[in-house]
Amino acid sequence: MATVMARGLRKTFRVADKQPGLAGTLRHLVHRRWRSVQAVREVSFSIEAGEVVGFLGPNGAGKTTTLKLLSGLIHPSGGELAVAGHRPFRRERAFLESITLVMGQKQQLIWDLPPLDSLRVNAAVYGIPEREARRRIAELAEMLELGEELTRPVRKLSLGQRMKAELMAALLHRPQMLFLDEPTLGLDINAQARVRQFLADYNRRTGATVLLTSHYMADITALCPRVLLIHEGRLFHDGALAELSERLAPWRQVRLELARPLSAAQLAPYGEIEALEGCEVRLAIPRERLTATITRLLAQLPVLDLEVSDPPIEELIGRLFRQGSLEPAPR
Amino acid sequence: MAMPVAPVLRYLRTLRRFWGTALATQLEYQLNALIELLAMAGNLAGSLLLLWLFHRQGVALGGWSWNAVLVVLGAYTFLDGLTSTLLRPNLSRIVNHVQEGTLDFVLLKPIDSQFWLSLRTISPAGLPEMGLGVVLMLWAARRELGALPPAPLLAAAVLLLAAAVILYALWFVLAATSIWFVKTWNATEVLRAALTAGRYPVSAYPAGLRLLFTLVLPVAFLTTVPAEALLGRLTPLTALTSLLLACGALVISRAFWAFALRFYTSASS
Amino acid sequence: MSFLPPLRVARTLWTVQFAYMAEYRAEIALWALSGVLPFIMFGLWSAAAADGSAAAHGSVAGGGGPLLGLSAAEFARYFVCAFVARQFSVVWVVWQFEEDALEGRLSPYLLQPLHPLWRYVAAHLAEQATRLPFALVIASGFFLLQPQAFAWPAPGRLLLGVLSVGLAFAIHFLLQSLIATLCFWSERASALERLFYVPYVFLSGLVAPLQAFPPELQRLSLHTPFPYLIGFPAQVLAGMPMGGEAPFSLAGGLAAMVLWLLLLVPALLLLWRAGVRRYSAMGA
Repeated sequence: MATVMARGLRKTFRVADKQPGLAGTLRHLVHRRWRSVQAVREVSFSIEAGEVVGFLGPNGAGKTTTLKLLSGLIHPSGGELAVAGHRPFRRERAFLESITLVMGQKQQLIWDLPPLDSLRVNAAVYGIPEREARRRIAELAEMLELGEELTRPVRKLSLGQRMKAELMAALLHRPQMLFLDEPTLGLDINAQARVRQFLADYNRRTGATVLLTSHYMADITALCPRVLLIHEGRLFHDGALAELSERLAPWRQVRLELARPLSAAQLAPYGEIEALEGCEVRLAIPRERLTATITRLLAQLPVLDLEVSDPPIEELIGRLFRQGSLEPAPR
Repeated sequence: MAMPVAPVLRYLRTLRRFWGTALATQLEYQLNALIELLAMAGNLAGSLLLLWLFHRQGVALGGWSWNAVLVVLGAYTFLDGLTSTLLRPNLSRIVNHVQEGTLDFVLLKPIDSQFWLSLRTISPAGLPEMGLGVVLMLWAARRELGALPPAPLLAAAVLLLAAAVILYALWFVLAATSIWFVKTWNATEVLRAALTAGRYPVSAYPAGLRLLFTLVLPVAFLTTVPAEALLGRLTPLTALTSLLLACGALVISRAFWAFALRFYTSASS
Repeated sequence: MSFLPPLRVARTLWTVQFAYMAEYRAEIALWALSGVLPFIMFGLWSAAAADGSAAAHGSVAGGGGPLLGLSAAEFARYFVCAFVARQFSVVWVVWQFEEDALEGRLSPYLLQPLHPLWRYVAAHLAEQATRLPFALVIASGFFLLQPQAFAWPAPGRLLLGVLSVGLAFAIHFLLQSLIATLCFWSERASALERLFYVPYVFLSGLVAPLQAFPPELQRLSLHTPFPYLIGFPAQVLAGMPMGGEAPFSLAGGLAAMVLWLLLLVPALLLLWRAGVRRYSAMGA
C-alpha cells in the first residue's frame, strides 16, 4: 500500500473581506462578507514507501497548505487522504510518531541551550528510552558531522549547524515519513550540499519516504527522481523531472558555428532564432522536428560545429516561479 | 481515574526534561532572579504597609482582624508566585507560538498540546514567593487562632489548589484567544490588574464590587475562600461551590482549547 | 547634534506616530482598562469610610469623624483623578528602547541628526492622544456609577492640574529613560524597571492618598519623585485642600516638580552620552 494516498484532496479557506478605514471596520463588524479561497483543488497522487519526491510550485501555489494537510495540521475540506495508514488530521499518537515536519524558516530548538538539551526533551516526548536516545544521537551526529556543536548554545551556532541540529531533533524518533519545507533555505552552497547528501543517505539507510519543497533546483535535481508540480492549487505534473522539462519547453536549443555569417532571413526557415552574432547562432527547434531539421541544416548550410541541448531546467522553473504562469514558454 | 501507567510515566519524564532544560536556561540570568526576589520582597512590604495604613486608622477591612487579613494576603502572595513560576512564563508564549508558526511543532508532537503549552517551562524565581505566601498564611492563622487543627488545614490546602486551577483556567482561556487575536497580552494585563483585588478579603469591598468579584471575576474564590477555610469560617456550601467551579473551569479550558485549535487548524495557510 | 528638534520635525514625528498608534487602538483601549487599580483601591477606601468602623474603633488620626477627614465622595474624586493622572503619565520607553537595542534598530537612530529620545517622546504623546477617548469613557462610566462624586474642578485648578500631569509625565519619562539608558551596558535593563515599579505603586498615591501615610513616611516620600507622579496631580485635579495640614502645597509641589526636572535632564544627558560612547566602543 502507498505511504501517501491523496484522492480529490481539497482545501478551501474562508477569508473575511474588509474595506479599509473606519467605515469599513464598522461595516465589517455588523455584516461580514466572506470570500473563499481555494488553496488546494482536487489534487490526487500517491507516494510509495521509500520514495523521495520533490514538491514544486510558485509561491502561493498551495505547497505549504498541502504539506500541512499531509502532516495533519489542517483539516481537508474534501477528498480522501491517508498517510502511513492514518487519517492525518486526527493526529493519533501512532501517526505523529511516524512522521516529522521540518520547516526551514521555523525552529524548534531551544535558543539559549545546546541542541543536546532539546534532543533530550524530544526523546522524553516521544518516549525513547535514555540509552536508545543516546545511541541514535551518536548515529545522527556522525552522519551530520556534528560534534562539540551539540553542547554549544543554539544561538551561537551558524545557520548550517543549526539546520543540521534541527534535522537531528526532527529525526530522533525515526519517522518513516519526512515532510521537509525548504530545508536548505538561506544556507550557503556547501551547507546545502551537505544537507542534501545527508537526506540521500538517510533515505537509503532507513528507507524513509521523503516529500520536500525547495526553491533551490539543485536540491530537487540531486534528490528527487520524481516531482509533483502544483500551480493554483492544481496538480500540473507528476513524474520525472526530465518529463517536466519536456512539457514546459517542447523544443530544444541548437547552437551552430558557421563558416560565414548568414542573414536572419536565411536562417528563419529552420527554427526560431534565439541569438545571432556573426558566425554564432542559437536556434530553438521543436522536439518532434529536431532530427529532420538537423539533417537539413547540415546539408544546406556551411556548418562548422553543431550542439544540441535542453534548455536548463533551472531557467524554466525559475521563469515559472517568477511569472507564476504555467503556459509552456512561448516560442 | 483508570489510566494506564505508561503514559503517565512518560508525561512525568517529559515534565522532568521540560523543567530541567528550563532551569538550565534561567541559570544564564542569575541577575534576573535576584531582581525578582527583591521585587517580591518590595511588593510584600508594600502590601503590608497598605494594610497597616488601614489598620492604624482603626479600619478592620470587611470586619476581618489584622491577622485574618494577613491570611488573605498570604493566599494572594502564593498565587502571585504561582503566576510568576508557571502561568506567565508558559502562557505568554502561546502568542509567540501562533505568530511564529512554531505551534505547528507542538501540535505534531505525540503529547497533549495543552500539557505542553501549560507546563513547558518553569521560572524558579517565583518559587520563594509561593513559599512565603504559604508561610504567611500559616503564621497569621496560627496567631489568629492560637492553634492549627488539621481539618481546616486540609480544607485550605484543597481550596488553595482549587484556586490555583481556577486562576490557571482563566489565564489559559485568555491566552488561547491568541489563536484569533494576535495581541492578547494587553488583555492578560487587564486580568492581572483586576486580580490584584484579591489582596484583600472580598467583604472589604462595597456591595457592587463584591458581586463583581464573586460572580464575574472569581476573585473571592481565589484568596478569600482558602483563607476562610484556614480560619475555620467556611460553610460547606462555599467549599463545594469552589471545588465545582475549579472542575468546571478546567473542563471549560480544555474544551475551549479544542475549539480554538479547530480554527487554527482550518484557517492557517 | 542639537538637543531640541525643530517644530516641523516634532510635528511630523507626532503625526506619524499617531497614525501608527491608531492602528493599535484596540490594544491601547485594553491597556487603558488595565489601569483599574485606583478603582479597586477606591472600593476599599470608600467601603472603609462608609462602614464607620474607624469611628467605632476610635481612630488614631481623627477621633471619630470621616476617615482621614475625607468623605466617600472625596475619595471617589481623588481616585478617579489618580486614574486620569496615571493614564497620561504612564511611560513605557524602557521596553521599547530595549527592543530597539536588541533588534539593532538603535544604530541607525544614533546616526540621525535628532536625539533618539525625542522619537520616544513623540510616540508617548501620540499614544496618549489615542488613549484619551478610552480614558474619558472609563472615567465617565465611573461617574455614572458614582454620580455624587462628580464636580467640575475650578478653572484654575483644572489648568494647574493639566500642567502638573504634563510635568508628572516628563519626570516619569526622564526617570524611566535613565533605566533604559542602562541598556547600553546590560541587555536586560527592563528587569530593573520592576524594582522601580514597587515604590511607584505604593508611594505615588495610586493605592492611598498621601494623607493616609503617617507624618514621617509622608515627609520621607516627599523627598522622592514618586508622590509627584500621581498623588500631587490627582489632588490638584480633585480640588483637594492644599497647604497647611495637607501633604502638598500648590506652589511647593510645582516647585518640587521643576526641581526634579532640572536635576533629571542633565543626569540623563550625561548618562546617555556615556552609554553611547560605550556602545560605539563595543562596535555594535
